[in-house]
Amino acid sequence: MSLSFASPWFLIGLLSVAVPIYLHLYHRKTPIRKEFPSLRLIRLSVEFVARRRRMKNLLLLFLRLLLVIFLIMALARPFIGQSASAGASSSTPAAFVVLLDNSMSMGASHQGISLFNTARSRALEILDQMQSGDKATVGLLNDPGQLLFPQLTWDRDALKKSLANARLSMAGTSIYSSLLPALKLLVPLQTYRRAIYVVTDMTETSWKPLIEKYKLSEVDKGIDLIMVPVGGAAPENMAVTGLEIAAPVVMSGRKVPLRVKIANYANRVRNARLVISINGERKIEKEFELAPDSEKQSEIELNFSKVGMNSLSASVQADSLAFDNERFLAVRVFEPCRLLAIKPESAPGQIENREDLFLKFALNPLNRSKENNFTVESRSAAEAANLDPQRYAAVFVINQRSLPPELIKRLSSYLLEGGNLLWFLGDKVDPDWYNRHLIDDRGGEYLLPARIFKRVGNAVSKSVAYQMTDLDFGHPAFALFSRDGNGDPGRASVFEFFQVRPNPAALLLSRMSHGLPGIVEEKRGQGRSMLVTFNADTSWSDWPLKPTWLPFLHQALISMVTARDLNPGSVRPGMPVAATLNRTQAKKITMRLPDQKEVSVSTSENGSGLLHFTSRETDQPGYYQLLADDKLITAFAVNPPPEESRLDRINLREIPRFIPLKTEVGKGHGVREKVSVLRDGYDLGRMALWLLILVMLAECWFANRKSSNRVEA
Amino acid sequence: MDKTRKISKFLDPKLLASLSAMEIKARTVVEGMVEGLHKSPFKGFNVEFAEYRQYVPGDPLKDIDWKVYARTDKFYIKEHEEETNLSGYMAIDASASMSYRGAGSMNKLEYASTLAASISYLMLKQQDSVGLITFADGLRKIIRPRTGMAHLKAICNELEATSASDKTNIGESLDLVGQSMKKRGIFILFSDLMDNADTVIAKLRHLRSRRHEIVLFHVLDRDEIAFPFDDTTMFQDLEDRSEIVTDAFSLRNEYLKRFRQLVGTFRSALRKSGIDYLVADTSMPFETSLRSFFTRRQAASVR
Repeated sequence: MSLSFASPWFLIGLLSVAVPIYLHLYHRKTPIRKEFPSLRLIRLSVEFVARRRRMKNLLLLFLRLLLVIFLIMALARPFIGQSASAGASSSTPAAFVVLLDNSMSMGASHQGISLFNTARSRALEILDQMQSGDKATVGLLNDPGQLLFPQLTWDRDALKKSLANARLSMAGTSIYSSLLPALKLLVPLQTYRRAIYVVTDMTETSWKPLIEKYKLSEVDKGIDLIMVPVGGAAPENMAVTGLEIAAPVVMSGRKVPLRVKIANYANRVRNARLVISINGERKIEKEFELAPDSEKQSEIELNFSKVGMNSLSASVQADSLAFDNERFLAVRVFEPCRLLAIKPESAPGQIENREDLFLKFALNPLNRSKENNFTVESRSAAEAANLDPQRYAAVFVINQRSLPPELIKRLSSYLLEGGNLLWFLGDKVDPDWYNRHLIDDRGGEYLLPARIFKRVGNAVSKSVAYQMTDLDFGHPAFALFSRDGNGDPGRASVFEFFQVRPNPAALLLSRMSHGLPGIVEEKRGQGRSMLVTFNADTSWSDWPLKPTWLPFLHQALISMVTARDLNPGSVRPGMPVAATLNRTQAKKITMRLPDQKEVSVSTSENGSGLLHFTSRETDQPGYYQLLADDKLITAFAVNPPPEESRLDRINLREIPRFIPLKTEVGKGHGVREKVSVLRDGYDLGRMALWLLILVMLAECWFANRKSSNRVEA
Repeated sequence: MDKTRKISKFLDPKLLASLSAMEIKARTVVEGMVEGLHKSPFKGFNVEFAEYRQYVPGDPLKDIDWKVYARTDKFYIKEHEEETNLSGYMAIDASASMSYRGAGSMNKLEYASTLAASISYLMLKQQDSVGLITFADGLRKIIRPRTGMAHLKAICNELEATSASDKTNIGESLDLVGQSMKKRGIFILFSDLMDNADTVIAKLRHLRSRRHEIVLFHVLDRDEIAFPFDDTTMFQDLEDRSEIVTDAFSLRNEYLKRFRQLVGTFRSALRKSGIDYLVADTSMPFETSLRSFFTRRQAASVR
């Protein structure tokens, strides 16, 4: 609360309160002398009346003091207000920021009117209070928050226009990221009356993080933080808050479990009708009963028939907030993976080379030809040179002395376009040849993630056994082993391996027990190249005999196969999406939005023949397709943040420093009046005048009760 | 009438002329030596019939009602009430408080003296005997009751000689009065009763128990009744000269309430004891006070 006066010099008149006090204490009337027959009755009466009379005199004194005070107040015209600016002179210019909440939750309707439209009207009304000399800016609270004008401006029309053009976002709320730059703008303006108005629906999910992480009480006391709540109580809302496939890879014709989360943010039991659609075609409809204020997860088995990118959606019936009733997922469906193992050529007359044996066993343990996720074809390098690697999900290169140039060229192209290479090194490997032909001669199209040096250890004597340490559990190939009970690849013994030096962009997935790299991976173009510094059979290690060998291979392959997709389902509205493409694919790259509108995507080229692009055109929730020359490369889904569906309102008292400015349509003062009152304070001058009249009447009545009290004996 | 004008300043001929038809009668039987207006406990020759009783030997034959004998053939004696004269005492409070004079032409003592002189005149005129007692802190003067208009002079002289001074001590004075009243008679007290109310009531009751008939004139000034003061006033007590400064206006309600309570206490307590209580407002004409007195007496005699 602060107090200011329009005419403060009148306050000097408050000294005149001394007059009634002096009169009360020191002024006594000279009594008239009167003889009376007996004072007996008078004495008794005086004792009784004296206390009442003292009270009356004090009350009269109080009333007269009030008379003086109210007279002075009426002349001095005090202004009182909650805000810091109410204490400043009304002629001081104002600097303020209006932050409009345009997050998805503002898409709900209240009394048939969209909250966002109501909030925008309120924000425009606040801007209407801008006077000459005032400066302001406006911002939006959708994640990530932003100021529409990075600096304060005097141009009210431009500010109003920018607010009028603001659109509802499907993103979450980030008050902090808008509030902070707003504060930075206002803090230096000490001579202004400063305020930040936040026009929002006051959802708990958006305010709690701000309160918990940011000390609002430490905000400059000279800046008024004012919240303008819109929308009243939280409406009942139902939302699809989660949609994911509970399998690492989706193969065509194979059933996969689909997990759907449906939330009921209402205080009553509600029925939800869930519809699962694939590529716009309804596949499954299911009824659910949802308990009050609960979230239910359901697992449904689903079968994809189309290979490639599929659009998957889960929806429930529409309600007050329609934007969260449907959730999307981009699913890449694979054919059962064909893998190519390039093994050392068998010498004539000798038994067939079996270094691929443990790979085959691990990837197809039952040796099935049908309904198997992985099918391994073993070929010699010469045979492989005539094959198209694009037909294979991954290519294993096992203990090769050298590779034909044609094969190197095919593998290089394959890798950059999204292929996956796994290198196993053995006794036949010539490091010099590898370094020269697979790295140095290839320039930007090199194939190996590390340069190879000498061999370490002795697989014949097996005198020293090395273990794998420092496993990168963040990598999908090893993530499985981070949980207890899933085994430990470090228990395998490696007797001999190649010392390597990883490329600068390569990831080190494991080390050997004395610190040298064990497994290295590098992303190359759209593909990945992984190098294992020892062989794939038991000649140099006993890992193929250990139970962790099979899951490692499966996980490594799945992560490689699925790595090409752009975070399916995890993109939030407004977030940028980035991808890297082979230049040969990218004559014309476009993005097809959920409303089927196509927008061109700008790209940047790096020296290695790759194109990078970033797009922010992700405002709409739905299924996005990335096209190169009208050919679908990949797809992704954009979904609103699930926390935005929870519309519970925060208790305004929990928010420190913020002054609520409540308005209701058709009731009481509008935003303009309230902002004016908040900024300038309440004018107490008129009230003081009325009180002066009232006290005057009271004093007159009280002091002149004589006539009404006269008793005619 | 001419004689009265010469006797005293307290006897107004016009007033007495207007009251000449009035008689002061005792409400109860009184003892007297001279035949008068008042009932005596002794029965004898008179015109007032009392009762019949059967003749018993020894009764004078002249008292036999022969007309009854002629009708009933029995001897009956017709008895008549004997009438006697009234012996009255005028008791005047001459304390300092009786000297108070408000807006009226005379103070309370003068007013009381006028009333006493007038009543004395009327009693003496009807052959009753009248005495005078003046008191304040104690008895000052007693004039024994006597008959005859010549006695009026002595009473009036004493009234004129009396001045208001000293404190009031009604209780002690009434004790002394009781001892000096030998015969049953009427006792008329003029006082502003500036003494403890309970004491005054107790003493008057005691006097009444000795079969004296008692009339109390509560002599009050208009200022005491209405308390018409508005300003801050320093009141000084006429008896003890003590002072008190107060806002008279704010005090009035409480004073009047207490005053009414006091008068009410006297009226109800004395009426229960058969004592006449009359408020004599000095701002009212004497005639009004006297008429209320006579009206009360006549009503009493009818009863």
